[in-house]
Parts: sequence; C-alpha cells; structure tokens
Amino acid sequence: MDKSFTINGKEIKVQDFKHQHDTVTFSFEGKTYFYSLISRDGHEMILDDKGGRFRAAVGTTSRDGETMVIAGGNEAILSDSGKKMKKAGAHAGGLASPMPGKIFKVLKEAGAEVKKGEAILILEAMKMEHSIRSDKDGKVKKIFFQVGQLVQGGVILAEVE
Amino acid sequence: MNIKKILVANRGEIALRVLKTAKEMGIKVVTVFAEDDKHLPHALFADESYSLGTGALSDTYLNKTKLIDITKRCGADAIHPGYGFLSENEEFARMVEKAGIIFIGPTPESIVLMGDKIGSKKALEKINVPLTPGYHGDDQSEETLMKEAKKIGYPILIKASAGGGGKGMRIVHEDSELLESILGAKSEGLKSFSSDKVLIEKYVLNPRHIEVQLMSDTHGNHLHFFERECSIQRRYQKVVEETPAPNMSQELRLKICETAVEIARGINYRGAGTVEFIMAQDGNYYFMEMNTRLQVEHPVTEMVTGADLVKCQILVAQGDKLPMKQEDIKQKGQAIECRIYAEDPDNNFMPTIGRIDTIGVPTLRDVRLDCGFLDGTEVGVNYDPMLAKLVVWGENRELAISKSIHSLDEVLFLGVKTNRDYLKRILGHNDFVAGHTHTHFIPDHKSELEPKALSNDNIASLIAALSFSSKKKVFIGSSETLSNPWTSLTGFRN
Repeated sequence: MDKSFTINGKEIKVQDFKHQHDTVTFSFEGKTYFYSLISRDGHEMILDDKGGRFRAAVGTTSRDGETMVIAGGNEAILSDSGKKMKKAGAHAGGLASPMPGKIFKVLKEAGAEVKKGEAILILEAMKMEHSIRSDKDGKVKKIFFQVGQLVQGGVILAEVE
Repeated sequence: MNIKKILVANRGEIALRVLKTAKEMGIKVVTVFAEDDKHLPHALFADESYSLGTGALSDTYLNKTKLIDITKRCGADAIHPGYGFLSENEEFARMVEKAGIIFIGPTPESIVLMGDKIGSKKALEKINVPLTPGYHGDDQSEETLMKEAKKIGYPILIKASAGGGGKGMRIVHEDSELLESILGAKSEGLKSFSSDKVLIEKYVLNPRHIEVQLMSDTHGNHLHFFERECSIQRRYQKVVEETPAPNMSQELRLKICETAVEIARGINYRGAGTVEFIMAQDGNYYFMEMNTRLQVEHPVTEMVTGADLVKCQILVAQGDKLPMKQEDIKQKGQAIECRIYAEDPDNNFMPTIGRIDTIGVPTLRDVRLDCGFLDGTEVGVNYDPMLAKLVVWGENRELAISKSIHSLDEVLFLGVKTNRDYLKRILGHNDFVAGHTHTHFIPDHKSELEPKALSNDNIASLIAALSFSSKKKVFIGSSETLSNPWTSLTGFRN
C-alpha cells in the first residue's frame, strides 16, 4: 500500500507500507526499511531497525492531525494524512498571527500603501511585541482586528493586495 | 533569629528551587499560584499553597498587598522573591520589612541604586569601576540625546534606564537610524518599566558577557563565587551559560572578581547579587549592571563551587555570618546550563505553546534539571517561555559539553516545540567548542546553526515511530493524562 506523510511541512511518499503487530515495513526512495517495536512505555518506545536499537517518542496528535515525533535524536512534526500543513503566513495575501496574543497597535489603516517589510500591526504575546509586516509592496485591503482584541495563533490579521 | 517558614513569591522552577533548599534546612515552605498555574508543581509540593486568583500579573504574582496578606495569615516569617516578578521591586521590599517580615534579598536602598542604570553608574564612578564611554544624563531631550550619541561615535547602544531582558534596547550604526531608535527605546521603556529615561553607550564589538556571583552578609563579609560566561544570547536573553569562562587567564579572572567584590563592599551590599560586565576581546571590561537578586543561571556556580546559594541567602537574611571564607571557595570542573525555552529557533525564536506529554529524566551523574512543569501540564502564553534549565557538570569543558548534548536527548519535552535541538547545535558548533563565545554568536553563526536536513534514514525512522503509536489509539487524546499520578494529584487541590 502506498502511503503519504507530511514531515515538517514537506510531503513524503512511501510504498509497500505494511504494519503488522510489532513490525512496520515500507520502501522509501528505493530502499526497503524494516522496523520492530522492542518496548513501549507511555509515549516512549525502543525500536529496532535491524542495524541497531534507538529511542523514539510520539506525542499526542493535535486536532489538525499533527504529531510531534522524536526518533534517534531527530525531532519533527508529522501527519500521516499526506495533506499539507497549514503554515502561518502562507495564506495568499493574508498575514497570520505567529502565535496567540493580543493586538497591541494597529499602524496602518485599510487603503494605506505599504512596502514589503513594513509593519502593519503589532501583536503582544509572551510579554513581547511582535511586528506583523507586509510580505509585499501593495495596499492594505483589510485589518481584521482592533487594538485590545485577543487572537489565536495562525489567524489572518490583515490582508495586503 | 532563625527563619522557620518561607513564602516563595514566585512560580515555576525557581519556586521549586527555593523550596528544595528550604526543605534541606528544615524550613517550612508556602507557595502561591495564579489559577492558571494550579496544576504546576510549585502549586502542589509545598507545605501550604495559596491561590492568587485570576487576572493580569498585577492581580496575581505582582500583587504586593495580596502576597503580604497571605504571608501574615499563614505565619511565614520571610519572603523569598525568586528572580523576575517582585525580586527587584524596591517598594515591595519596603512593604515586606514594614510588615515585620524578612525580605530574603538586598536592602531596598541597594535595589533603588542598582535598578536605575544611570544612578548606579554615577554611584560607581566613586569606587573606581571601569565604565563604558556613554551618556547617562538627566537631560532627556531628543536634541541632547542625538548630540551625545554622535559625540560617543557609532556604533552605540541605547537602553531604557530601568530596563532589562533586552526590552527598550537598540543598537544604532548610523545617523539615519538614530531618532527612530531613541523614540523606540523610550516608548518601550515607558510601557515596560513606566519610565522613558534612556542612556547611551559605546557599543563594544564582539563583546563577551561575563558576570560575577557575589554574596554579602551583614557582618561585613563580601565574597565572590567566581565568574560566569553568559555570552550565548538571543534577543538579549541568555541561552547557554557556563563557568569557568573559557579562554580567560587566571589573572584576569581574579581581577574581574575582585572588581565585583569592590562594588559589593562599596555599596555595603547584602545578600546575593551579580555584577555583569561587558568584556572586550582585548580583556578590557566595563561594568554593565548589577542584578540585585538570585540569577536564573546560579546553578552553574553551585555545581562548580559546591555552594548552595539559596542557603547562603537564607542565612544572610536571618542575620548569620556566611559559613565560608573567600579562600575556601574554589572552582572545580566545568558546568554548563542550557535554558530550554518553548520556542521555535528556526522561526525567529517565536514562542510556542502546547501540552507537555513527556518531559523525560536525565540519567547521567551530576546532571540537574530545574523544571517547573510535569508531564501533562500546559505551556501557555501568559508567562516567560523558559520551561527548564538543564545544568551539567563535567570534569572538564569537553566532558561538560558532551554530557550536555547527551542529556538534551533525554529531556524530550515531547508535545511542545522547544529549542532543544537548537541547543545541541550550539554546543556542537566548532566555535563554541573552542570557547570563542561573544554576544553575537547566535546571529553571526545563523546559517551554521540551521537545522541539518533529515536524511532518508532519519525520515524512515520517524515514520516508523509514528506508525507504532497511531496503531493504538490509547496514545491519542486524554486517556494518557488521566492515569498520570501527577495530574490526579491535582484533584484534591481543586
């Protein structure tokens, strides 16, 4: 069975994926991998890849299907749906909040001309101020929040066209 | 008089740190917690623990009246302020002493003197302490500030006089940036510290941040516990600290420590303090500021000197003499502290949030994890993003580094994106290993500190790990935390 995963935002396809009991096998980039589960305690586990044993840990999966995985000293965010992760700031023309916080200042109004890199509003989070900057030269189309409003991480705060 | 019960006016790892020593000394401990912290260990493991309610910091950990009321009500005879929060708040120190409670810290006068960066430098001019060329005047008009800035010559540093932690701080390289930077530093100072007073200083190229740990009692003893090297910083906040400072001659080490002791003696200091210096590459050093509290990074000093600095603080506060002499204090081996932050170093060090599934336990000898969280607890937006401090001692620097890298793989902080991997990259960097540390280390080595691309084998093992867990849904969701003894412990506190 072919299967796709997203690892740190990048899509990865594996072939001949088979998971039976305590073994997992699949092909990736022309190489066949075989893993067995040696032990598991809570989130942590010991795996064997035929070449040796290594520690791994898998976190709780978030609502949008992302899971933090640590294996052999490497840490990554995985999802096994194959769909692209929603990355803050990646929305077309939209500027997203990088984290939850409070709108501290609105520097530009709708209709204002902005240059790439120019701050449009300031978000206060973790007791620090973070400038939300325009990602291009253009005009502010809309500011979605007012000073003092609380916003979640990844929410579109303003649009530049 | 012997202190019998201490209220710790702080949260997280430092509240637990104070608790630990107090218990070693047979002293009862009272902690306080904001409601959103009620599941964290500082709210669980003290002899008594009281809620500060909900709301802004000014209603909880910074509510002086509430803290003093609780102290009186529970019969504690002393308050330990930890670091941050009210630890350097002169008014609080006064209120505590007026209420007949011992403040485990310096006198209010020392806090005032050292809290004002302009005032402190003026006072120190009398003690023959090297100061960087700069403008510390009261005339704060834009014209004067701009004139003085140009007189000192670029690059210069503009700082909020009452500032700290990098807030209200700007580096200016040329005329065109000057006015904007002055105004920026002023407004941040006003917002963060209710003062828009700024000072201007010559900016030292590739400086090292070297600080000296001091401890003074009320019997005229002013001791130093040697230096710490704290140059590895991001956004003016320390990330990796160590002692002894690498690439420093014994002669220079003793000289800088002596200078710091002279400051403590000169202002008749009391308790734990740290003098921070900027050290130029040629070994010249300049006084930067004095922190009138226990520092976050104090454990590296404890590891190398064997002293318990919190114990010293408590002894001094109850009027005892310090139990050691200067010649008894020696540096043995090397200690490194890594600050584990909930942040994404590969996305501009943005703070992150989430629930910690598993913290993990360091297993090597002489490794200490000072951590304010438990498995299953939440990391939110309301407080500092520092989750824990991993402090590692080694016989020499090379071993301290390799043990730290190994230990960073043991403390997972699974569930929250942290700078754990980034810390491994810093510790493994050739320039760090060679001891070539300066405060621009992180920005200067930005590209070399980027994450290594995952190999195909790395990717395959990550997929395997995910597959083994997702097979059994018991791992997903809340069933895991319900069986966690720590989380069930919180039940009876509610």
